[in-house]
Amino acid sequence: MEIRVFQQGFNYSQDGPGNRLVYHLSGCNLCCPWCSNPEGLDMDGGMAYTVDELVRSALSCRMMFFDGGGVTLTGGEVTVQLDAVKELLTGLKAGGVHTALETNGVNARLPELFALTDYLIMDCKHYDTQKHRAVTGASNRLTHENIALAVAADKHPAVRIPLIGTFNAAPEDAEGFAGLFVRLGMNSDNSSVELLPYHEFGREKYEKLSLPYTMTEQARIPSEMLRSFTETLRAAGLNVIHT
Amino acid sequence: MELFGTHNSAQLMQLAKDLFAEERQEKKILNGWFLSREIAADASEGRDLNEEEKAALELEAVIDRLPLEISPNAIFAGTQRDAFAASYALINPAFEVESFKGYCDPLEVYDYATPAGEVTAERISKMRERAADSDYVRDLARVYENCRQYTGEVAYFVEQVTGHLIPDFRRALRVGVGALLIEIDEKLPTLDAQHAESLRSMRRALACALRLAKRYAALAYGLAEKSEGPERERYRLIERTLAHVPEFGARSLYEAMQSYLLLWQVMCLEQAPNPFAFSVGNADRIFEPYRAADNLTREQAAALFSHFLVFFNVGERSWAISQNVLIGGRDVQGNDLTNPMSYAILDAYFEMNFPQPILSVKLHKDTPEQLYREMGRFFFTPGCLTPSIFNDDSLFETLRENGVEDADLPDYAVAGCQEPLIMGKDAGNTTNSWLNLAKILELTLTGGRSMISGEEIGPQSSRTALDTFKNLKSLFYENLRFFAEQMACSANGASIALSHLRVPFLSCFMGGLDTAVDCRDPGEQGTKYNGSGCLIHGLSVVSDSFVAVNHLVSKHPEQAENLLNALICNFEGYEALHEYLKKCPKFGNNDPEADAEAVELAHNVSELVKGLKNYLGNPFRPDWSTPSTHLLYGYWVGATPDGRTAREMLNYGVDPLFGDATNGLGLRTLSTMKLPFEMFNGGVASHFGIDPKYFTAQTLEERGVQFRDRIIRPLFFNPLNEHRAPFYLYVNVTTPETLRKLLENPKKYAPSGVYIMRIHGTFVNFLDLSPAIQQDIIRRLDPMSTCC
Repeated sequence: MEIRVFQQGFNYSQDGPGNRLVYHLSGCNLCCPWCSNPEGLDMDGGMAYTVDELVRSALSCRMMFFDGGGVTLTGGEVTVQLDAVKELLTGLKAGGVHTALETNGVNARLPELFALTDYLIMDCKHYDTQKHRAVTGASNRLTHENIALAVAADKHPAVRIPLIGTFNAAPEDAEGFAGLFVRLGMNSDNSSVELLPYHEFGREKYEKLSLPYTMTEQARIPSEMLRSFTETLRAAGLNVIHT
Repeated sequence: MELFGTHNSAQLMQLAKDLFAEERQEKKILNGWFLSREIAADASEGRDLNEEEKAALELEAVIDRLPLEISPNAIFAGTQRDAFAASYALINPAFEVESFKGYCDPLEVYDYATPAGEVTAERISKMRERAADSDYVRDLARVYENCRQYTGEVAYFVEQVTGHLIPDFRRALRVGVGALLIEIDEKLPTLDAQHAESLRSMRRALACALRLAKRYAALAYGLAEKSEGPERERYRLIERTLAHVPEFGARSLYEAMQSYLLLWQVMCLEQAPNPFAFSVGNADRIFEPYRAADNLTREQAAALFSHFLVFFNVGERSWAISQNVLIGGRDVQGNDLTNPMSYAILDAYFEMNFPQPILSVKLHKDTPEQLYREMGRFFFTPGCLTPSIFNDDSLFETLRENGVEDADLPDYAVAGCQEPLIMGKDAGNTTNSWLNLAKILELTLTGGRSMISGEEIGPQSSRTALDTFKNLKSLFYENLRFFAEQMACSANGASIALSHLRVPFLSCFMGGLDTAVDCRDPGEQGTKYNGSGCLIHGLSVVSDSFVAVNHLVSKHPEQAENLLNALICNFEGYEALHEYLKKCPKFGNNDPEADAEAVELAHNVSELVKGLKNYLGNPFRPDWSTPSTHLLYGYWVGATPDGRTAREMLNYGVDPLFGDATNGLGLRTLSTMKLPFEMFNGGVASHFGIDPKYFTAQTLEERGVQFRDRIIRPLFFNPLNEHRAPFYLYVNVTTPETLRKLLENPKKYAPSGVYIMRIHGTFVNFLDLSPAIQQDIIRRLDPMSTCC
């Protein structure tokens, strides 16, 4: 089976524990205007590898998986290539590699990957389904369901909120996220939450791809807002982390 | 130690800074080397002497007649200023990549003598003529004449190697030069006439250290009489100290350093104007016994060492470049050899932040965490010098397999940039030859015609393009053997030419007192270990070219003719083919095909170089380093099949070509670790340009530990690595943006005028560099190398 990858390389600590080989898989089922990897939206972009090739390549990197590192699959959106991802994770696990997955959770089959994933990172962009659909183009109902399933399956998901001004970063939004997470069964023992303030890392890429970059200065997050968001989530009994 | 009775450590440190400022800001005219050459020539003119006698006599005259001075800020007598000319290319603002000439003109240095005072233009011109009338200059000119067709566009290059050794002064410090002279006198009657003559010259040269001490003592006495207060105390101390050292064994750290510096001064004067890249060696081990005997605190030892460091800075640009000081390391059993002096030396380096001498740190798997913690401030303070890093565990094995005895392994140190040599026992002739694999590939592709000039160079052939590409590797190796053998012949010629200039003083500290043989003697080996270096250029450019040609020819054989035309046209009109070549697998991305090609090339070339014999019949040593010559030599190489354009730089050392390792530092590290480091006994160079953001800890000390965990351990001490680990690395922890801002506004970002950066084996004041070298440093930083 083939799998398409548009970027690869090592990263430390932000994509799971330790030093990790990160594969960015092509294709996405959302169209978030702040996306920092717009080159990964195209399902046919990047390079095609067989799953065996990628497993071999990852195993050859074992020397660099220090401090509890391993392989992280991210995107794009990994579940767009779910069958290939499943085979890839199976190969990596068979090779004794620590696996991490970063997903937006908008896929009903995501739980099929739970058993093959040592560290699960789930993006949760909004607590409100309508607002999510309006900006990203899809419902986040499955995301919420999958977070609940991951918690129930004892996967200790690391839930990440990209904080975007005018979209999900108002004071009432903090309450909204806190309420959602509590309803999904999250608490400080079975999961974590991380806030990722808006950044402009993708801006140049949009220019290179001749795509319009529609984000404005209003998307930026004041540090005070970040603090109050953190306090609200912690007050709700959630484990807020910063990697 | 009585100096601390009149001065505290902070005052001594301030004096060292003042002394450095004096050296840099007064813009002293560096004519001492010229005077020394003139005095030497006067002394030996018309005398019928053998080469060793002549060298000793000339040195004695220089020591007796050269004008001396001692600064009011100094606590030690001595300078190496009179041994160097203001000429070193890297930090010469007039240097340009295009200026490479294909030969070393030993008379060019006279262009850097400055008419001033009694040194008139006429005197300079006359001395130049006298220097030209020598066996050394005539023989060297003949060597270059014979190889001009190969060195002009740098298929290879050769040079006569001066400096670049590591003398062992330890015994002289301990027992004193006087005791060594007595030993020589006892030994002389046991020798045959030839060796006795040679040893007598060494005796005469060695005694120069005592003559110099006497002159400085008299000068200090006179200066003391004319001064008062602490300054007067310092001059008196210098005078009293020189009555004891270097004639007798040093009793304190202060005396040991004073003794050391005078020996160094004489050694450099013997080789003026080219004593570049001598190395102090393992300084912490040399000086720790004296610190301990003195019971000096770390702070006091650092204060003394700060003056030791000033000595190595010459003139307004610190012209005496590439002199190395090493700390740390292990013994044969693996015991750590870091000691209190190691940390005092680090303190002095950090406090002074001088452009010279180079600091190198030897590490091993059990290096104490404290050393990494204390190195943090160097790596993570912008504009601060950073040490080169060596891996003892790996280098011990590589040196052992290449003939170094176990007992000598801990005494390896580094001369020049990164060339490992045994202190006092290794005449490594390190930069004797330089091989340009990329140029040889070009000549292989064209059948012997330069793509740059159209000149015919080396063996000529007229194969079809397809035939050439199909047999490229075997044709390349055939060509390589031809050029390598020519190179060895020329390099040996340069070494023999240089042997006319004997070095009896240096030989005393390179085994000569045991063997009674000058360490430059081309007929008899005077030093325990001997070899000649070969710096090999263009590893990844050539191996990636092999990969690209293989892809193209196997998939599109009809493109063979096009490829050759594309290279000759520097890809103009062949843009699609250029893109295809650039997308072929490249070394540095953990790609199995590209990496295997680089490993094979590194192995084969190293083996070929080791098979070459030097002037004493010893093997050449493969050294995969390119000390800025990746720019110079690249300028003479046409477009290559890896997609590199004509005249573009070659890859640095064993690193991928800039821009080819597109997947970051982690995968690049994996590619590097596959190379056969056990073959690289001449040395190897690699550079990481790392974004400071990779290190997230709060304190400098904690970031030092992160540097260990995220850079050093994975690369050097990786438990999963089944191959010989890399043993050398230098880093720059900064971003291109930072350096660009610095160049735009140096007064704002470097108010002291000094902003230290690493460039291959040395560090330099970034602001002193020529523009081409500044841009090279910026281009080879990779801010995105550590994140994905």
